[in-house]
Amino acid sequence: MGLSQNVVFGLVTGSYIAIAAIGFTLIYGIVNMINFAYGEYLTIGAFLGLLAVTMLPVPLPVAVLLAMAGGGLVSLALARGFFTPINQTGPVPLLLTSIGLGIALRSAIRLVAGRSARYYDTETVTYRFDSLPDLSVGSVDLLGGFFVTSEHLIVIGTAVAVFVVLHALLTRTDVGIAMRAMGDDESLARVRGIDTQLIRDSVWVLAGVLAGLAGVLMAIQTNVSSDTGFSHILQILSAAILGGAGSPYGAILGAYVIGLVLALSTAFLPSGMTGLSSAVAFVILVAVLLVKPSGIAGKEVREA
Amino acid sequence: MFGQPGALTGAFDFLQPGVSQAADAAVSHINEAGGPLGAELEVVRRDTAVDPQEARSVTTQLVENDDAAAIVGLFSSEINPLWNFLQDLQMPIVTPWPGSTFLDTRGGDKATPGDISDDEWVWRTVVGDTVHTGGSAVYALEQGYETLGIINGNTEGERSYVDGFLSVYEANGGSVAEQVEVELGASSYQSALSRLFDAEFDAFLVSMPQESAITALSDWSDGGYGRQPILSDTLAQQEVIDQVGSDLHGAWVAQPGRSGPSYDTFEGIYSEAGDAAINGWTPPSWDSVQVTALAIERAGDTSPEAIQQNLGPVSRGDGTPVSTFAEGKEALANGEEITYQGAATPTTFTQHGNVFGAVSINTAQDGAFTQTTQVSAEDVREYVTEGEY
Repeated sequence: MGLSQNVVFGLVTGSYIAIAAIGFTLIYGIVNMINFAYGEYLTIGAFLGLLAVTMLPVPLPVAVLLAMAGGGLVSLALARGFFTPINQTGPVPLLLTSIGLGIALRSAIRLVAGRSARYYDTETVTYRFDSLPDLSVGSVDLLGGFFVTSEHLIVIGTAVAVFVVLHALLTRTDVGIAMRAMGDDESLARVRGIDTQLIRDSVWVLAGVLAGLAGVLMAIQTNVSSDTGFSHILQILSAAILGGAGSPYGAILGAYVIGLVLALSTAFLPSGMTGLSSAVAFVILVAVLLVKPSGIAGKEVREA
Repeated sequence: MFGQPGALTGAFDFLQPGVSQAADAAVSHINEAGGPLGAELEVVRRDTAVDPQEARSVTTQLVENDDAAAIVGLFSSEINPLWNFLQDLQMPIVTPWPGSTFLDTRGGDKATPGDISDDEWVWRTVVGDTVHTGGSAVYALEQGYETLGIINGNTEGERSYVDGFLSVYEANGGSVAEQVEVELGASSYQSALSRLFDAEFDAFLVSMPQESAITALSDWSDGGYGRQPILSDTLAQQEVIDQVGSDLHGAWVAQPGRSGPSYDTFEGIYSEAGDAAINGWTPPSWDSVQVTALAIERAGDTSPEAIQQNLGPVSRGDGTPVSTFAEGKEALANGEEITYQGAATPTTFTQHGNVFGAVSINTAQDGAFTQTTQVSAEDVREYVTEGEY
């Protein structure tokens, strides 16, 4: 196994980071805040899905829908309860509130669910592609055989579906067009008759729905614990910033760059440095921002 | 009263029920025999969440507020960073948990029980990493696994386990083909495994905490990589088999043995006290309470100095062998010296407050980990220098 296998792994990681990063960056672009509590929305979604699968019990697709609905409701409720009332006080109070709310949510989840990890009971089916043409270049194996599991396919396929739906939402619906208008200039959007509070609420719900979905996708790969979202928030933040903060298309691009860098750096770092793959991802993030402070996609993708 | 800092929550909370039940069973058994110095013994258990700062607070509370006579808990990850604090506390800490090689030459009474000026106040009733990783390495070589791949977490505990294993493995002809270190808590270890299994080796060692190990081993199963897995000591858990599945069958774990002379006595009393499963740290928990109570009985005093000075004498030498506090109390009342024969090991404390014993090999088969063999204490001792452990 070589490059092709690690590209598969990177695409899987990038896919669920991308779904989460879209929600995160929509909040940044339209509500104009960095929401550090967002990781906990993922955790809540993952636990809601797990409860649905184990206690109701319902099939995984139904559990995913419940997790998405729960994520949306939690996100809207917390926005209405905490962020909207202090929206006019500026970015710093909003940031501090989100940090405090994140800590409180994580503690509450830990109190209810405990610290131990819980597992989705999903059956894995592995698909092997061992008879591909040999496209080796030097010592680098390009397509010499790799495997994907059903979970890989679920994650990547779901991400592609989300991207298609999101694109349609942003370009073909009144709500989506209004979101883009608000992202560009809220005052102008308000003058043009857009109900900005309704659009804000829509963004909160959409971000929560995406967080719930991403939480379940992360959890079926590994497990869910009270730290699930917190342990991923830096990757989500990095993807959003790398792609161009506020741009959902940029967040997708940033997420796949992060996912691929994580996979490929583990595979190709010198021995003794393999534990530094996350550090490599962040070094690349800083390097890109030094060259292009607006992120890879920057303004032009946001306006696409 | 004995204070027991423990993992009521946190990374090793799945091991705590067995440890708690063993301590509670020991306390009941001791009280049925009249208690140390005729008083009723009690264990107050508080949660450290395996966090050093929390452990510091909990230990202080147990000593200062609860008036504990001794501490029968604390993990390596708590003891090592708090070493100076624990020495300043001057409280006997007789713990069933720590494996760290850091304690190989730290702790105990330095074989001078009458003189506490050279003492260090930590004792452990479980064999250290040097012993059971040595046993694991000896067993691997005996099975013909001469080339190894390693995947380990990037924390001190995981590295210490690998270092202990390799010190015996490489010194006796084994070689490492590839070692991949990973961050704990990642959502996937597939890239690391892809890299590891590009190398040629007979068996691979997994040194990670349970949750990360389940992720890595599930990825290993999905990838169909095969080869012989060797797991670090805390991974012989039903949850690991349940989550990873049948591909794990044949994997083995070397754990602190259950080969103390009084293991059967312990097991009989323990099984009547509850239904928590016995793990590698359960018999040492029983031993820590028993030997500390015996030290009080011999001392005729519950001061920290008196307990510290008597832990060595009740565990070493040619005194009357005793399996429980009840037998020891009776022998001491008759004016005899005693030697406590433990459940996990003989509990003969070295000068550094360590114990030495057999290593049990537990293999995943038929949906559970079962003990398949043991590496004897004599076989392991061949590779562990006396005086340096």
